[in-house]
Amino acid sequence: MQWDKLRRVAKWEVTKNAGGIDRRTLAITAVAVVAMGGVAAIAVAGASPGLNADIYRVGVEESSPYYGVAAADGSFRIQDPNPKAVRRGEQELAFDGDRLLVPPQSGKQAAALSALRDSTESYNDRTLAREDNQTAAFPVSVTVVYQEQGGPNPLDPRGEATGDDGGTDGSSGGGGATDGSGEGTTTDGDGGTGAGDGGGGSSASGDGAAGGGGGANLGNIGARLTGDVQGGTPSDIAPPFPFESLVLAFLYIVPMNFVIQAYGSSMLSERLNRRGELLLVTPASRGDIVGGKTLPYFLGAVGVAAAITAALRFSGVAPSGSAIAVLAIVPIAMLFLAATFCGAMFARSFKELTFVTVTITVSLTSYAFIPAIFTDVTPIALISPLTLVVMDLTGQSVSLSEFAFSTVPPLVTALVLFGLGAGLYREEDMFTQRAIPLKVLDALAGRIKSRKSALKMSAILLPLVVVAELVAVAFLFVLDSVSLNVFGTNQTLAVVIVLGVVAVVEELAKSLHLYAGYAHARYERTLRSAIGLGVLSGLGFFVAEKGLLIARLSNLESLPVGNAALQGATPPSGVPLWVVALLFLFAPLALHSVTAAISSVGAQRGRGAYAAGVGVAVLVHIAYNLTVVVSLA
Amino acid sequence: MIDARDLRKEYGDFVAVEGSTFSVESGEVFGIIGPNGAGKTTTLKMLAGLLEPTAGEAEIADLDTQTTEMRERLGFLPEESPLYEEMTPVSYLEFFADLYDVPSDVAHQRMHDTLDELDLEHRDRKLGDMSKGMKRKVAIARSLINDPDVLVYDEPASGLDPLTTNYVIEFTEQLAEQGKTIVFSAHNLFHVESICDRVVIMNEGQIVARGDLEQLQDEYGETRYHVYTTVDVPEAAKENGHFVRVVGSMDAVEETRAAAESAGGTVVDIRTEESSLEEVFLNVAEAGTRGTRYVGEDAE
Repeated sequence: MQWDKLRRVAKWEVTKNAGGIDRRTLAITAVAVVAMGGVAAIAVAGASPGLNADIYRVGVEESSPYYGVAAADGSFRIQDPNPKAVRRGEQELAFDGDRLLVPPQSGKQAAALSALRDSTESYNDRTLAREDNQTAAFPVSVTVVYQEQGGPNPLDPRGEATGDDGGTDGSSGGGGATDGSGEGTTTDGDGGTGAGDGGGGSSASGDGAAGGGGGANLGNIGARLTGDVQGGTPSDIAPPFPFESLVLAFLYIVPMNFVIQAYGSSMLSERLNRRGELLLVTPASRGDIVGGKTLPYFLGAVGVAAAITAALRFSGVAPSGSAIAVLAIVPIAMLFLAATFCGAMFARSFKELTFVTVTITVSLTSYAFIPAIFTDVTPIALISPLTLVVMDLTGQSVSLSEFAFSTVPPLVTALVLFGLGAGLYREEDMFTQRAIPLKVLDALAGRIKSRKSALKMSAILLPLVVVAELVAVAFLFVLDSVSLNVFGTNQTLAVVIVLGVVAVVEELAKSLHLYAGYAHARYERTLRSAIGLGVLSGLGFFVAEKGLLIARLSNLESLPVGNAALQGATPPSGVPLWVVALLFLFAPLALHSVTAAISSVGAQRGRGAYAAGVGVAVLVHIAYNLTVVVSLA
Repeated sequence: MIDARDLRKEYGDFVAVEGSTFSVESGEVFGIIGPNGAGKTTTLKMLAGLLEPTAGEAEIADLDTQTTEMRERLGFLPEESPLYEEMTPVSYLEFFADLYDVPSDVAHQRMHDTLDELDLEHRDRKLGDMSKGMKRKVAIARSLINDPDVLVYDEPASGLDPLTTNYVIEFTEQLAEQGKTIVFSAHNLFHVESICDRVVIMNEGQIVARGDLEQLQDEYGETRYHVYTTVDVPEAAKENGHFVRVVGSMDAVEETRAAAESAGGTVVDIRTEESSLEEVFLNVAEAGTRGTRYVGEDAE
């Protein structure tokens, strides 16, 4: 690759497209993007400064602990404390130190007190989030209660509730109460009746009666219905809906979709009417051309992410936003662009490209966006690099292993997709009008040079397998609550489905390139050759599969479904070495080679036989997976 | 300068070009003619490095056609002129000059000289707003922006009106006079006849004849004799007060003379007419792919 040529292609890509867009369109787009960013930033901030600015007058001196809180929140206008002014309604709150001088007498004063309480919580959270020692900042206290068995079980949420003191404070229930009777630890003692946070367990919220009554997490909703809570945000829902994560993830993912539209269109236009033919006869290689045409869009996507991060940081919305948020966007941008590039190389028209980009948008947005919403909820969220963005913006530390686990699979997948697409970036493939499935086969066959390619291709395609399996885990882990009896053992529905998905994905990855090789007459159509190629493919996949050790960088295996999906990656501790060797070396090698050979034998006989072969291989694979999971259970 | 040896190109089961061997001398204008689907464009694209031969080799100036170094010395003009329509001729040519590492001042001088010679105005107009002839001129200027030694032109006058066609052909002749080595294909055999030193005739992916034009005419053409008489003879037509019979051999001429004299007349004029390249081509095409026929120096 010649960087100088690549840079020149990139420069002219910008110039060419700049000439194709009129200034009015550019202006409207810019305004739309800025407006979107502004709305999202305001949403993240949780309040509209324009509407709420200075609506509450708070009398507080600089020495008061509430001074900093009020000063940091635009809703409050700081004044000298004046109890008389409070009584006249000219001031909502007045403090002497941390003591409220006059109890609320009007609705507005009560609302001011509630707003100050919320603001105090946010202020404390932000302050603690900036602490280097996060464990010290957010200590966990556990109260163990021993109870006699028999009679009503107080730990049973359906049991009789006491609910006597959970709501006296409610500001931060720290006891991990599961039934609303837990001992909320008073932190600010302001006597409020606001929603409590159950901390460790399912939350006991609202006042004691509400929290203790049913045990289900309906306290706030019930309270809202009865009018005990004024207003309400998604964070009031129990369990708290991760509204902040959602908005932050949304803010970063939306621009990607605009970028890939322009990129896909530019790439496809090179193919229509053979416009790209002349670039292919210049001294620039196809790597230079593809790289040069991609670079502006990549820089654009990352630049937008950097601008958003800077805006959030310097506006105070997400003061902890750093380069990590921008770096985490790199693999996402690469993956979006790589998938779009492949789509543009496969599509025959702009109409087809539309379907392709919609598919890419939905798939990759789901992959990146949905896990990131649950950043604080589950380790599965880490499969998306966007989770790192949310973590960074919300002040959570990101370890190097977490960063690697989130970013390496999509980054390598993107490189593989670029490689496959670039295989079609040549005269005899670019301008043909073949159907998308045939183009996919062309892309795979383009990389096949000899029989050894069977081994290489299985290894190359592994990143796609990893990402597909992680996505399956992310989407199926919610089914953990449904149990099935499998060979006498209790397995969750999620585990069973994931094992099936894993089998299908892996068998396709091992065999599709073999079928492409046969379809393009790269391989000899004999039984002996088919078995040999299958074994090579299985071997390549097995070796590359050991790369799944990256899964150890996450806590994914702490989940049953994650453990099932990654069963081949990490041996359990305490197992004899020969068992480890059998289970994690020879058995998987035999499995992959046998199943790939089955598919290969089918592939050399034609499309129908290939489908049948893959079907049989998948069944064998599923049986193997279930056996392993049941054995280890 | 150009050396193609046993070129073969397959697309799946379809063989587009098979056993194509020829060489082109420096400064020569070399034509490739043949019916649609004969393999002309595939051959030219293999020469330009756009297509990788399934088998065989192609070299330009001793450089493999798949190398970057070769591309720097080549100017390629495809049959269509697929330009970036949102660009202007100047920005378009600047772009390609940049890719060929042509210094900016040299590129500007060269592009304006070429566009002057091609008589192209409106150089700041978007290419999408230009006529087909104007686009073709820009495409030709692009093929010359790197001042290449070798030009590979595929149907340079394809789809153009007669005036622009003549312009393009004359310009190609000028390039040949400047010493450029030119390989080009054309459907219009008159153009090939007017500027080519040698040609190959392709049919169904194979070269079926090759040589210089005169030799090809000798081999595949025929000489026709127009015998003008003062009296009517069999198969004669009346023309300008005389009778004319067209025959294909001297024996037939003698027969005509005898017929005229026996009818009391005489032969007043005999004119010869050689076959055009088009007729040569048709004769070769009718003969089918019976193996390459070498004529003239190519036969040695």
